[in-house]
Amino acid sequence: MGIFHNPATSSNPYKDDTPLPDSVPKVQELGVTSAPLKSAAFFIAAYCKEYNEDFMLCKNEAGGDPGRCLKEGRRVTRCATDLINKMRENCFEQFEAHWDCLEQNNQEYFACRKPERKLNQCMFEKLGLTKTIPGSPVGQKQIHEVENPIYTTLQR
Amino acid sequence: MSIPYRQDMPPPGGFEAVRYKRNLPFRGPSGLAILGAVTAVCAYGFYRVGKGNLERRELQREKVWSRIHLVPLLLAEGDRDAYRRQEAMLERERVIMKDVKDWEPGKSVYNGPRYRSVESIVIL
Repeated sequence: MGIFHNPATSSNPYKDDTPLPDSVPKVQELGVTSAPLKSAAFFIAAYCKEYNEDFMLCKNEAGGDPGRCLKEGRRVTRCATDLINKMRENCFEQFEAHWDCLEQNNQEYFACRKPERKLNQCMFEKLGLTKTIPGSPVGQKQIHEVENPIYTTLQR
Repeated sequence: MSIPYRQDMPPPGGFEAVRYKRNLPFRGPSGLAILGAVTAVCAYGFYRVGKGNLERRELQREKVWSRIHLVPLLLAEGDRDAYRRQEAMLERERVIMKDVKDWEPGKSVYNGPRYRSVESIVIL
C-alpha cells in the first residue's frame, strides 16, 4: 500500500480521484479556458468585486490553509459563473468575437481593440459594466480607449 | 604708300560680358539643410519612442490587472482541489494507522497554529 514514489520520476501522472467530502457543498467549476477568462477579466472584477475581495481577505487571514475559505471561494466561483452566463445570454456574438481574436493574437489585448470596443459597449448597455484599469494616469484616456495607438498589429 | 588712320573700335553692340563665374551644377541642398532635416526626423522619432514607452507601460498595466482580477477565481478552484486531496490524504492515513494507539492523523510535527502544506505525497 503506502510506498512513496517520487512524483517527478513517476511514469504515470499522480491522480487522486477521491471526491470532496460530503460536508462541503458542491459547486460547478467554471470550466472556461484562458482566452474567454482574459476577455471577461475586467468584467469579473467589476461584477464580483465584493466576493473577490472578501475571498482574498479571508485567504490573507487563513495563512495558506486551503480549507478555511471554501465558502468564500464557492461564492467567487458562483459569481463568475453567473457573469459568464449573463455575458453569453446578452453579448454572445461580441464575447465570442473578442475571445476568438484573443486566441488568434497570442492573447494580447492591443491586437483586439475593435472587437473589444464592441464587447465593452454591449456590456455597458446590457449589464451596466465598464472596464476600468486601476492606476491609469488621471486625465488621460485609458489604454483601451485610445483611438490611434502606437502599438498595433501590422494589419489593422 | 600711306596707310589711312583708323581707330580700332569695339564691335558694334559692345563686347560680350566676360564670364568670370564658374559654371557648376546644383549639388543638392546645403549641409545645414540636411543636418536640420535629419535632426527633425530624429526628434520626431524619439517623440514617438517616448509616446510608445508610455503606451507600453499602460499595456503592461492592463495585462497585469487582467491577471490580478482572475486570481481569486483561480485560487478558489485550486483551493477546493487542494482541500480535496488533503482530506483524501488524511483519510488514507487514518485507515493505515488505525491500529496504532493515540495516533492523530494529520498532526503536525511542529507545535503551533501555523498552516504548513505537506512536503511529500504518497502514490498508491
